[in-house]
Amino acid sequence: MTRYIIRRILLIIPVLFGASILVFTALRLAPGDPATALAGEQATPELVAQIRQDMGLNEPLPVQYLIYVGKLLQGDWGRSTKTHGRVVEEIMLRLPNTVLLATTSLAFAAAIGILLGILASIKPYSWVDGGSMTMALLGVSMPVFWLGLMLMAFFAVILPRALGMQSPIFPPTGSGTWQHLVMPTITLAMNSMAILARMTRATMLEVLRQDYVRTGRAKGLRERAVIFRHALRNALIPVVTIMGLQFGILLSGAVLTETVFAWPGIGRLLVDSISYRDYPMVQGIILFIAIGFTFVNLVVDVLYAFLDPRIRYA
Amino acid sequence: MSTIWTKRSFVIVGLLVALTLIATACAAPEPTKAPEPTKPPAAQPTQPPAATKAPEPTKAPEPTKPPAPTATPRPKVLNIVSGTDIENLMMHRVTSSPSFTVLQHIYETLFQITPDGKIEPLLAEEFKATGPTEYTVKLRKGVKFTDGTPFNAAAAKANFDWVLKVENKAAYRSLVDTVTDVKAPAEDTIVLTTKEPFSPIQIHLTHGGIAMVSPALLAKGEDALAAGAIGTGPYKLKEWKKGEAVTLEKNNDYWGAKAIIDTVVFKMVKEDGARLVAVESGDADVAVRVPPAEMARLKTNKDLDVNVTDSLRTIYIFFNVEKKPFDDKRVRQAVNFCVDKKAIVDKLFLGAARASDAPIVPAVFGYAQQKAYDRDVAKAQALLKDAGIAAGTKVVLHHPTGRYVQDALVADAVRSQLKDCGLDVELKTLEWAQYVPAVRAERATNTTQFAMLGWGTVTGDADYGLYSLFHKANHPKGSPPVGFNGSFYDNAKVNELLEKGRTETDLKKRAELYAEAQKLMWDDAPWLFLYSEVQVTAIRKNVTGLVVHPQERLITFKADKK
Repeated sequence: MTRYIIRRILLIIPVLFGASILVFTALRLAPGDPATALAGEQATPELVAQIRQDMGLNEPLPVQYLIYVGKLLQGDWGRSTKTHGRVVEEIMLRLPNTVLLATTSLAFAAAIGILLGILASIKPYSWVDGGSMTMALLGVSMPVFWLGLMLMAFFAVILPRALGMQSPIFPPTGSGTWQHLVMPTITLAMNSMAILARMTRATMLEVLRQDYVRTGRAKGLRERAVIFRHALRNALIPVVTIMGLQFGILLSGAVLTETVFAWPGIGRLLVDSISYRDYPMVQGIILFIAIGFTFVNLVVDVLYAFLDPRIRYA
Repeated sequence: MSTIWTKRSFVIVGLLVALTLIATACAAPEPTKAPEPTKPPAAQPTQPPAATKAPEPTKAPEPTKPPAPTATPRPKVLNIVSGTDIENLMMHRVTSSPSFTVLQHIYETLFQITPDGKIEPLLAEEFKATGPTEYTVKLRKGVKFTDGTPFNAAAAKANFDWVLKVENKAAYRSLVDTVTDVKAPAEDTIVLTTKEPFSPIQIHLTHGGIAMVSPALLAKGEDALAAGAIGTGPYKLKEWKKGEAVTLEKNNDYWGAKAIIDTVVFKMVKEDGARLVAVESGDADVAVRVPPAEMARLKTNKDLDVNVTDSLRTIYIFFNVEKKPFDDKRVRQAVNFCVDKKAIVDKLFLGAARASDAPIVPAVFGYAQQKAYDRDVAKAQALLKDAGIAAGTKVVLHHPTGRYVQDALVADAVRSQLKDCGLDVELKTLEWAQYVPAVRAERATNTTQFAMLGWGTVTGDADYGLYSLFHKANHPKGSPPVGFNGSFYDNAKVNELLEKGRTETDLKKRAELYAEAQKLMWDDAPWLFLYSEVQVTAIRKNVTGLVVHPQERLITFKADKK
């Protein structure tokens, strides 16, 4: 077991190394010059030259990379060229917001999605099934920014006006209170909810066809016990795996939701930093996400090994 | 029910919860706060304690003490939704108008330009040329920075020294780089010496890039400047939550008329639609950068005012006056007569632009209105015929795409309108990074006939808007080209007037010089004069006194909210 864990941890090193090279080169191959972006539209050539020199952009690329990695190994992630703040601090400032939003969204998606999936599987091809799956289909098809703006218009303008209220039911943008969380959560959860609903329905249908379920029914178990106690328990295993993956996707994929609702998370920080050619910041965020993903993967792998001895010896 | 949870799902859910808790706990964010004053401020009973940190900065600050039994008015909070966050807190480094909007509530300049283009003293009281290259500025007395440091000649000199030092990378160093020496002969006097006579210097001192920062803060270096803001303005920095909001609070020790609004919050909402919802729902009081397409709908909203204000950016198509067929003044005038600027403004901008009636906009000092080239196809055709231009003559128009609002559509409108007058226009576009060097190439390699560009006269002074673009000294040279007069326009009289404008210190005489120069330019038509961009702002009706400055700044000093 220990050897397996050590092996998995050592494997992280080349992964992160690869990620750092990828990010570094991709950024520099993209058109646009950070010095020009920083200096502003009508900047003098003299100012741009000074900024380039200070940012180390005059060094050859490999040298720039080595300097970057060297500092990284000493724990120095650099400073944002835009705000002059430390990259790690700025990421840590936003991370809790993103994690919070991803968590509430996943909880919401799981609760509604699994429920819809179960309902659909109990009476397949009935109107319940049709209704649930239509909702799921809508959930996957609706563009996030459209849904976000519709919710916003409804809860902040149309409904309060109809009810004669002076202020919005849920604040349309920003963060800070639970009310701020409602609309971004629904928006972000919609897609995952749809996936989880369809997944649950599929695995439930499969499990319900199995022999032990028939045995259960044959020996006179109540339908509720068959569904929840015996079938669902097995059907949920792949669903839980998908939930784990969805959490990762929600963490990194909240960019649109964060932008629409002005939610101060790392997704938006990433987009803003890219448009500003803020190299240290973009590198920092992507590396951070890469570390997060590898870490979660590691934990999941170790857990699997713990739960299933076959993996350990494979 | 509990049995449906397998061991594995328990572990995974547990992990997720733990992750959330860890992330929330270990990163309890310390948002950027204004650094503590170096000296304890004198006792001010009216001032709320500055050190207490409000837990939710986007909300109105809660009084730290329970409300006193006497009825004190609730603090007034103005919420502004803005599209872009400030770049940083370094006044001398920022370049974007959202940054200047926020920071010029905290930092002040020596002089200021009013929204109608007049120059007024602010931290200075008087400007005098005391020699051919020597300018003396008398400073306002009794002004203090919010850290208690007095604003005086030494403080002003410290700011000039900081900006002028190349290594400090001040974004607008070029505005004052003719200054070779700054002296502080008296507590309230500084003397600037320039390389050559340069009277626009007074107006350049109105630019936010040359605003006055506390010398104590300057001395602490870059990290301190990035972490806080200490100026003399009507507001102080309360908190900057990066990417989220900047909160300003009233400076109760302000030397001038104190602000009415206690707290101003600039909230960053990038999405246009979300900004509109915020102001329509009353969640915000002001929304900047309203898309023109929404103007008509918002005007029907009884809770909102839609404010339309000029900006300093002019969009134009310049002719290469050395290349056929635009080497003939009649052809250039014909194009000006042929293109319908009003139609472009109405159809492509839904009124959210202003047809040009001078090479610079009214808010720029020195602007002089000219008689518009109203559309007259017959006249245009006659002029072309006079110049010997056959119907169907081919010309190539270069234009950017995605750089200015509707730029490619405008180019296409120009193409189709010129067709009516007998010019066959071929459109060519390039990626921005290649576009500018190509259309402003030096004479030997320049193949441009006419090309679209924009120019923001950010100093608010005609010198920057005219000398840079029309004087022969600015013909593009070298590679990449330096010099913005891509027309290669060269009129001896205009050159002379623009030079005089740089040395004349009497503002009235300067304005006359520029008026005469613009008249000549308008007639020579080295440009197809198009339009200037405007700013559309939605303001809730209960907000009064808010100023939208043509420098693309929102000013809340005199604003009130009912």
